[in-house]
Amino acid sequence: MMSARIGLGSVTRRVAFAPVIGRNQIALRTLILKRGVQIQSLPPSASEEILNAQRLKRPSSPHFTIYQPQLTWLSSIANRATGGALSALLYGFSLAYLVAPDTFTSVNIVEFVAGLPDYLKYTGKLILAAPFTFHFWNGLRHLSWDMGKLLSLKGAYRAGYAVLGATAISTVALVLM
Amino acid sequence: MASSMLLRSMLPRTFASATGRNVLRSASQVRASSTTQYVPGGPIIKGTVNDPIEFPPPSRTHGSYHWAFERLLAASLVPMTAAAFVTSGSSYPVLDGLLGLSLVMHSHIGFDSMIVDYVHKRKFPILGPVMTWTLRTATVGVLVGVYQFNTNDIGLTELIAKVWTA
Repeated sequence: MMSARIGLGSVTRRVAFAPVIGRNQIALRTLILKRGVQIQSLPPSASEEILNAQRLKRPSSPHFTIYQPQLTWLSSIANRATGGALSALLYGFSLAYLVAPDTFTSVNIVEFVAGLPDYLKYTGKLILAAPFTFHFWNGLRHLSWDMGKLLSLKGAYRAGYAVLGATAISTVALVLM
Repeated sequence: MASSMLLRSMLPRTFASATGRNVLRSASQVRASSTTQYVPGGPIIKGTVNDPIEFPPPSRTHGSYHWAFERLLAASLVPMTAAAFVTSGSSYPVLDGLLGLSLVMHSHIGFDSMIVDYVHKRKFPILGPVMTWTLRTATVGVLVGVYQFNTNDIGLTELIAKVWTA
């Protein structure tokens, strides 16, 4: 495969298929070029470099942004997100206590929380209870898949709705506790 | 051609593909794959399109045993959490300690899965290992912190109970 860049293919084709009368004039006019076309001679191995350079510039088609929202993958990423958030809280508090044990004593923390207004206390409980309960119930759903149960689409959806219901009920119960 | 085929069949499998590739290369003289830069996770593939993908070596420790341990740990968290709900941390400090340890291990495995999924070292040759070791260091720190808190202070379950009803 000769990888030579020539810019005269379409031009000469036009000349060849032009009517016989005007052919010489068209040939003269098109071959005395308005724009200079460079002919670059390349070795056969350069074809792969050109191909890879083109590949790097190609865009990737949208996938993550256009996939239809479904209970399956939404509950899956929500399980990961809630687990990550709760773990970040655990890690953050533990490292803070390690670094500054006198600032983060339980007495200080309980006093600080007790001094907050009621609406903030309820909001805080909601923010903590909802991810925890969702992660808990969806975790049970995940473990049932690991045991081979509920692996059909119907089973997964029914269990998913049950998880959402259980999350709502247990969140309310925890917040009111 | 016959001599190279014989050579290919006698060599161990890892080398056979190399000689096969050389045979291809000499036959067509088109691809210069050794000079092309490989972009991890990108559109430029390693070797030619006929070379198989490289897999990590099979190991039960990183495979089925890891999976089973992860599920058993998660399952054990259910009765431990329920027990922590109904008792107080001060009366059963061993349960409190076990719960704290299991929670930290569960969190570590979860974070590790996120790192493997989103910053795999095949695509992120520097950031991937950096995050893995940062996580391991952080987990060690968290374990020490949890131990200190459970020993010198009231413990995780007591803290949550007190904060909840504050």
